[in-house]
Amino acid sequence: MSKDLLGEATRALRETEPVSEFEARATRTRVMTGLHQTRVRRRTRWAFLLPIAASFVAVSAWGAASGQARATLDRLERFVGLTARTPNRATGIARKSAAPPALPAPSPEPAVLAPSRDPEPPSPAPIAGLQPQASQPSNSPSASAARVERADPNLSLYRVAHAAHFIDRDPARALAAWDAYLSAAPNGEFAPEARYNRALSLVRLGRVTEAKSALEPFANGAYGAYRKAEATALLERIGP
Amino acid sequence: MTILGITMTEQALACDAEPGDELVLRLQRAEPSAVAEVYDAHHVAVRAFAKRLLGDAASAEDLVHEVFVSLPNAVRRFRGDSALRTFLISIAVNHARHYLRAAQRRRRALSAYGDTNDHESRDPEHEARRKELAELLTRALDKLPIEQRVAFVLCEVEERTSREAAEIVGAPEATLRTRLFHAKKKLRLALETEGLR
Repeated sequence: MSKDLLGEATRALRETEPVSEFEARATRTRVMTGLHQTRVRRRTRWAFLLPIAASFVAVSAWGAASGQARATLDRLERFVGLTARTPNRATGIARKSAAPPALPAPSPEPAVLAPSRDPEPPSPAPIAGLQPQASQPSNSPSASAARVERADPNLSLYRVAHAAHFIDRDPARALAAWDAYLSAAPNGEFAPEARYNRALSLVRLGRVTEAKSALEPFANGAYGAYRKAEATALLERIGP
Repeated sequence: MTILGITMTEQALACDAEPGDELVLRLQRAEPSAVAEVYDAHHVAVRAFAKRLLGDAASAEDLVHEVFVSLPNAVRRFRGDSALRTFLISIAVNHARHYLRAAQRRRRALSAYGDTNDHESRDPEHEARRKELAELLTRALDKLPIEQRVAFVLCEVEERTSREAAEIVGAPEATLRTRLFHAKKKLRLALETEGLR
C-alpha cells in the first residue's frame, strides 16, 4: 500500500505542471542581465585596477632607480619598529641638512684617543648586520642588509674599512681602506660615516693637521648634526 | 503524460557539446549568445529538475538562474565525459543546498498560513489529488539529507539510470544506490505516518 502511495506520489511530483512560458522568459532575461552585469563588473574592475597597478609599477621602478624606494622602505621600517633607530644615513644627511637627524650619544673622549672606548661604529644597521661580532649586531635585519648591498655596490669596500677600523683597530689599514671606499664612492651611501672614521684614523695616526681639516666640516655642521658634537670635542682636545 | 525532462531530449542532443566545441569555447568566454543558446536548449530540463528537487517554483527559478549565470565559470570543468545537460544538472545539484533551505523555509511559512500555493487548480479531483500527493512527497523529502533527496529525485522522479545519476552527483554508483535505498525507506515511512489528509 505504502509502496503504491510512494509510487503515486512520485508520479505526481514528476508530472508537476510545466512552468509558464512567461516565467521561463523572465528567468532568461534575468540570466542575460546577470551575465551582462558580471561582464560590466569585470570590465570596471580591470579599468580601475589596471591604472593603479601600472602606477604602482611605474612608481616602484622610479623609486628603485632613484634610490627613493629604499629610503622610504627604511623610513617605514623604522616607523613600524622593524629596525631599531640607527645613526643617520649619509644620503639623508647630505640632502636634508636642515632637518637634524637624531644625535648619537655625545662622547667627550673619542674612541681614537682611548681605543678601548671607541664610539659606536657609525655604520648603519645593515652594516652591523654584516658583522655580527660588531657592537651593533641586533640592529640589522638581513633583508635590510640585502637592500643596502644592492643600493651601494661599494659596500664591500666599506665593510673592509669598517673591519680594519672597529675590529682589527689598525688605523693605518683603516685609513687606506676608508680612502679606497671614498675614492670609489665619494657620494656613496655611507660617505659621511666613512669621512668621519677616516678623520678618527688620522687622529690615531697622529696626523693632526690632516685630522683637523677632516673634522672641521663635521664641527661646522656640513653634515647637519651628524657627529657635530664629537667633532667639536675632538678638535678642542687636539687644540690649535 | 508530458514528462518535461524526456520530451526535451532530442532538442538537448541537438545542442550537446564537447570541450573543444565552439559552443563550449564561447561559453568559457562568457558570450551571452552562447549562454542564451544553451538556456534555450536546456532550461526546461534544468527547471524541471530544480522544481522537483526543491518543490518550490520560486526557488526553482532562482536555481535555474544561478545555474546559467555560473555556467561560464563552471564550464571550465566540463570534460565532455557527460552530456552538457547532465553537466547542467550537476551544477544545479552543487548549488541546490542553499536554495533547498530557502524552499523549505518558504514551505514552512506557507503551511503555517494554510496557503498551499494552489491558487489555480484547473482540474477537479484528479488534479487536486495529484497536487496533494506531490506536496506530501515534497514535505517528506524535506526530512531527508540532501544527498538522499538528490538521489531519489534523479533516479525515481526523473527516472535516470543510476549510472547517469552517479555521474551527476559525482559519486560511485553503489553509493548512489545505497542513498536511494535509504531515501525510499524513509519516504515510505514518512508517507505512512503522515498519510493523506
